[in-house]
Amino acid sequence: MTTTITKTFHVDHSIDDTWNNLTNPNQVVVCVPGATLTSKVDENNYNGEVELKVGPVKAKYNGLITFLERDAATKKMSLKGVGTDSKGKGGAEMKMDGQLTEKDGGTEVNVSMEVNITGMLAQFGSRLINDVTNQVFDQFVNNFKNQLAGKEVNTTLNAGSLMGGVVKGIFGKK
Amino acid sequence: MIQCKTSKAISGMGHSMKRKEDARFLQGKGHYVDDIKLPGMLYMDIVRSPYAYAKIKSINSEEAMKVPGVVAVVTGRDLEKYNLHWMPTLMSDTQMVLPTDTVMYQAQEVCAVIATSRYAARDGREAVRVEYEPMKPVIDPYKAMDANAPVLRSDKEGKKDNHIWNWKVGNKEKTDKVFDTAEVVVKQHMHIPRIHVASIETCGCVADYDKVNNHLTMYMTTQAPHAIRTVIALVAGHVGLTEEKVRVVSPDIGGGFGGKVPVYPGYVIAIAVSFLVGKPVKWIEDRSENLQADSFARDYHITVEMAGTKAGKIQATRFKVLADHGYTDASANPSKFNTGLFSIATGSYDYDTSYMEADAVYTNKPPGGVAYRCSFRVTEAVHAIERITDRFAFEIGKDPAQLRMDNFIKKEDFPWKSPTGWIYDSGDYHAGLKKAMEAIGYDELRKEQAEKRKKGELMGIGISTFTEIVGAGPSKDFDILGIKMFDSAEIRVHPTGKAIARFGTKSQGQGHETTYAQIIAEELGIPAENIQIEEGDTDTAPYGLGTYASRSTPTAGAAASIAARKLRDKARKIAAYLLEVSEDDLEWEPGKFSVKGAPEKSKTIQEIVFAAYTNHPQGMEAGFEATHYYDPPNLTFPSGAYICVVDIDKETGAINVRRFVAIDDCGHIINPMIVQGQVHGGLTQGIAPAMYEELIYDEDGNILNGTFMDYLVPTAVESPHWETGHVVTPSPHHPIGAKGVGESPTVGSPPAIVNAIVDALSPYGITHMDIPVTPYKVWKALKDKGAI
Repeated sequence: MTTTITKTFHVDHSIDDTWNNLTNPNQVVVCVPGATLTSKVDENNYNGEVELKVGPVKAKYNGLITFLERDAATKKMSLKGVGTDSKGKGGAEMKMDGQLTEKDGGTEVNVSMEVNITGMLAQFGSRLINDVTNQVFDQFVNNFKNQLAGKEVNTTLNAGSLMGGVVKGIFGKK
Repeated sequence: MIQCKTSKAISGMGHSMKRKEDARFLQGKGHYVDDIKLPGMLYMDIVRSPYAYAKIKSINSEEAMKVPGVVAVVTGRDLEKYNLHWMPTLMSDTQMVLPTDTVMYQAQEVCAVIATSRYAARDGREAVRVEYEPMKPVIDPYKAMDANAPVLRSDKEGKKDNHIWNWKVGNKEKTDKVFDTAEVVVKQHMHIPRIHVASIETCGCVADYDKVNNHLTMYMTTQAPHAIRTVIALVAGHVGLTEEKVRVVSPDIGGGFGGKVPVYPGYVIAIAVSFLVGKPVKWIEDRSENLQADSFARDYHITVEMAGTKAGKIQATRFKVLADHGYTDASANPSKFNTGLFSIATGSYDYDTSYMEADAVYTNKPPGGVAYRCSFRVTEAVHAIERITDRFAFEIGKDPAQLRMDNFIKKEDFPWKSPTGWIYDSGDYHAGLKKAMEAIGYDELRKEQAEKRKKGELMGIGISTFTEIVGAGPSKDFDILGIKMFDSAEIRVHPTGKAIARFGTKSQGQGHETTYAQIIAEELGIPAENIQIEEGDTDTAPYGLGTYASRSTPTAGAAASIAARKLRDKARKIAAYLLEVSEDDLEWEPGKFSVKGAPEKSKTIQEIVFAAYTNHPQGMEAGFEATHYYDPPNLTFPSGAYICVVDIDKETGAINVRRFVAIDDCGHIINPMIVQGQVHGGLTQGIAPAMYEELIYDEDGNILNGTFMDYLVPTAVESPHWETGHVVTPSPHHPIGAKGVGESPTVGSPPAIVNAIVDALSPYGITHMDIPVTPYKVWKALKDKGAI
């Protein structure tokens, strides 16, 4: 099942700073709760993992994150992640498109995210996935803003939420 | 009012005798397959595919084998060594037991974990690592028919598309001609969605192979134990499990509804593992496995057309069906009937022209197409004809009840030959509908509706006047895997006049232990409470094809009656001997023979039976036993007239079924209380697909409602008060004139509900709603029409 969410938000930073942050894998990935980079394959490809819990189902997706586009001139980027659950419970695909424009002395960030989930998470969590994706996205936006402002990035969802992320690896617990 | 020939003490036909089996069921003393515990028994759990279509790259059982208690992980490759990795379906298609390379639907069995406890087996299942390479599945059956669609069954040599079969019946040329010149033609496309049978007990088995004696005892949830024994022998005969070495036992079953007819891979794996390790193996599905993987019902995409005159005479019908069978055709139809008995779709109306065509297709969904409380696709057929009949009435502006009355087959015209070749045995459709209209107060309701419409309130009245076709079936046309669809009864009466009777059928809650006893009581006069009924053990019961599709009363019930009559003939001979008169001088009344004109000279059936063991006439065979295998001369054709009244909340779309009247004609009634119970259950299983149930798949083949949290089964809260009644036209060819009733309400009620809802919405130009009709669909339809 596929869920698409689009959000537009404003940051008080220059378009170049914002662009550098958004297109730097080490920076952008940790803004996604529960996500972590594990290794670099080449300039455009990275191995990573995302841990999710929706209702009764816990899934850990190992996969490949690929930058499909990073056009500094037009400030357009596109990122794709493909992963399968390590316990064979299913798979997930995520495509994220970002577009930056200068506005009111800062930058307007327009991000759309398309998440496609197969397997147990889709079976049991279909009613929740929209909400969960939305929450994750909101937290991503907060983290991204905080990161730009040099503040702490919260990589786990608040306790009691539908989804708790557990981040492992070198970027996990800074 | 039902006339009883026997006293209450005997409780033959027509008595509302309390169900004999309820003493144990109500006290929690039923004995189901999961109650079976054998020494040394192992437990099996199954790893299932999260993908609808994927290649299996590897199965790693290393971690699973470390789980304490796990003794083996069985894969398709393991079974392949014994050629047990695939099996035939009841429709002579093929199905994987366990895959060797590719999974074809979500929740398909991938491998099995065997352990010393159920918990260990489940833990082991969680520890198995399977690596998949997902592929893009084909979910939409219409897309599966595209020329460029990927060929799913590439395992079949030479298979170049996803088409399974094409079926047609009727006269195409004649039908087209009527349609070309008809004054009125109405056409409707509809989907009868995939649904789940939702029996309380899931499927399971205990396979117990005894190495020393080379003997397999298979305890399992099956509606057809004898057929299963034969199938096991056919599939596993090559490894030494020939039919005399196999015993199938069906213990108490917690609901079947067609879902316990097919052979599921879990059964076969359990047998294979027990055979290899020489220990009993238990497998019990959990609720989600049952819901996601087992045979579905329905999933027919139907285009139906009706041609007629402006005055309201039905002249012809035309049907085009696309049947989505999922990964394999695992229906359980009689062999010659690809679409089951769909050709009953011409309905209860007197016209002679129809043409039907169906195509079946493979998709990446679970396999099946079982008859869920429906005699082989009759639910789909009835929905199509009853919906299009309403559309026709609406189109020409005629009251749907009047249109039906004007077109019904007349009771004096039975036996009546349908345009698709069936010989309807008997019926009185006018009487049924009249009774239903009187019971519900039809004319008053129409007046009320007119008043409400003026105020903008939504109220609808829906009718369904259906003809069922059950009791498969005559050996001329009906078989499953070549075995003719007769059924059997064996009666043994003990010296003291009490009896045991065994049958080739298997009750799953229908009440056979009571109704069969009542049939024998009717014929022999032995009190029903003194007749013990046994079914489900292939070592003791006579061979039969089992219980599904409302066939038990029409076939095994008839067999019981005829076997009992054979015994009554013998009783007459013994009575004549004991009373020293000629047989012709004897008169039978339930329970005794007496001398004509001298009623004080008589012998009770108990005295006669005692003599059969202690003082039988010279030259006569001793004992008092009889067996009959009944091959029905025709099917039986129960019918019904159902009327439903709904009120709809315009703002929320919420549908309230205010009243529901069901008048059934199931021929002579064996036990009115049991029939009423069957009708109540069946009506509830009719409101289910009409308003709540549907197995929903997304484009990736994920089932989106794979638990009872999301798959809505109606409860007592959702069920309206059912008002029931009867018209009785006995089946002329059935020994006791019975027709069968189990399915009628499930088959007949959905179109009554939908017709009522559409009737309520019709002022806004709404002419059809696909089932399940949910409040959201109603609200959206009203919104789209600008009504709210």
